[in-house]
Amino acid sequence: MADACNVVGQLAGMEDKIMSFAKAVTTKIKIDQTPRQLIWALNKTKIYRYCPVLPEEKRHRTPLLLVFALMSRPSILDLRPGHSYVEWMLQRGYDVYLLDWGIPGPEDKDLKFDDYVLEYLARAVRKLKSFTGVEEFSMLGWCIGAILATAYAALRPDDGLRNLILLTAPLDFSNREMTFAKWTAEGNFNVDRVLEAFGNMPGEMMDAGARMLKPVDNYLLNYMRLWDLLEDPEAVKGWQAMNTWVTDTIPLAGGAFRQLVVDLYRNDRLIKGEWFLRGERVDVSRIKANLLTIIAEADHITPPCMSKAIMDHVSSKDKEMFLVRSGHIGLMAGSSGPKVTWPHMDQWLSSRS
Amino acid sequence: MAEQQSANGKPVDPLDPWRQMRDSYMDTWAKAMVDAVNTDAYAKATGAMLETCLSVSSPFREVIEKAMAQALQHLSMPSRADVLSLAERFTNMEMRLDDMDAKLDRLATPAAKSPGAKPAAKAVRQNRAKRVRKGAR
Repeated sequence: MADACNVVGQLAGMEDKIMSFAKAVTTKIKIDQTPRQLIWALNKTKIYRYCPVLPEEKRHRTPLLLVFALMSRPSILDLRPGHSYVEWMLQRGYDVYLLDWGIPGPEDKDLKFDDYVLEYLARAVRKLKSFTGVEEFSMLGWCIGAILATAYAALRPDDGLRNLILLTAPLDFSNREMTFAKWTAEGNFNVDRVLEAFGNMPGEMMDAGARMLKPVDNYLLNYMRLWDLLEDPEAVKGWQAMNTWVTDTIPLAGGAFRQLVVDLYRNDRLIKGEWFLRGERVDVSRIKANLLTIIAEADHITPPCMSKAIMDHVSSKDKEMFLVRSGHIGLMAGSSGPKVTWPHMDQWLSSRS
Repeated sequence: MAEQQSANGKPVDPLDPWRQMRDSYMDTWAKAMVDAVNTDAYAKATGAMLETCLSVSSPFREVIEKAMAQALQHLSMPSRADVLSLAERFTNMEMRLDDMDAKLDRLATPAAKSPGAKPAAKAVRQNRAKRVRKGAR
């Protein structure tokens, strides 16, 4: 009898639950809310300085420059108040700067890694140093941002880079069994044809590709998880914040996408030392900055094998590899972020800043 | 009427066994799909599908682009190519401005480094910081 009452009660509440579910899925919430100031802009690229929350004497002297991927918005680093990496680092006395690559337009279709590293990133570093008045800085690169940071550290080792933090860095493409490697292999994917049609690689296509790595998780289980969380408003807010970020897709400049596929996924040129940007060889053995590589053990986008090899190639005397039991995004934006990844990063960086 | 309670004191949910069955089925399905998309056959199939889509849409795209360019020309309006070329020129101008900014910084730096001129150099930096645009929110 009690069972029957329970089932009837649950069915009666179903309509409300469906409405709440639909609202949660279709509503975008405000993310990226930490106050910041624009200090430099060039084309679509901008540097923001997050407003410090500690007085100058309690802050670390070395500024931290965040370099995120080219094909997603960097708002994942500042997801929502109380669950924001940027906010957390500010509270621990870091002077945090964000390099936002912006959204490439059709006129940017020829931008390559060469331009991003040696033009935009190099100029951004110059501006950062002149603005802060400090010659040394720390740089954190995540995903494709880690490729850019690594290339910069290798090409400009004497430019003041003191600490290099790489998060889920796709640097070693030698494993041909990786799903992305198979999808982008010659004969399976005609990169020139796609770029001829679209100019830049559309964000929706890349998003679909990333989701198809785990189709059931991303297209079904993600929503079932939300259904089960509906009675917990805080958890729903967290889900919505993540969904807002995930669905905010941006294109990747055509030239950079071609290099990603041809130079890196197909020919593994970076770690082999055969990658040239504007005629300069990217030799990772020239990297001498203190290095912290953070790897997500359950990363399906950048499997751990792609990030480990760098440790054997760099010249850095101070280097550490740190493994987190999490996924590609979860290591920063999931529960592992504030519990494991952020504290470790702070512990490593504070003594070096 | 007393509610049925489980051993840990929580009310018994009659849908729990169904949920467990659902989760276990989904888990198996998810793993199978991850394996399925990581095959050469899947990679070849999606590649072929994309190729077909692009081949079919390409002639239409070209016709639309030509027609649009002609229409804009007749209306004496700038074409897409004109706007793109303008955007490129703006970027080049921004680059030149950034070069000048770098030169100005270099001029200000020696002043900042000399001990006697510290307050002036700080003022230069502060003035420049004030001039920067506020981030759009």
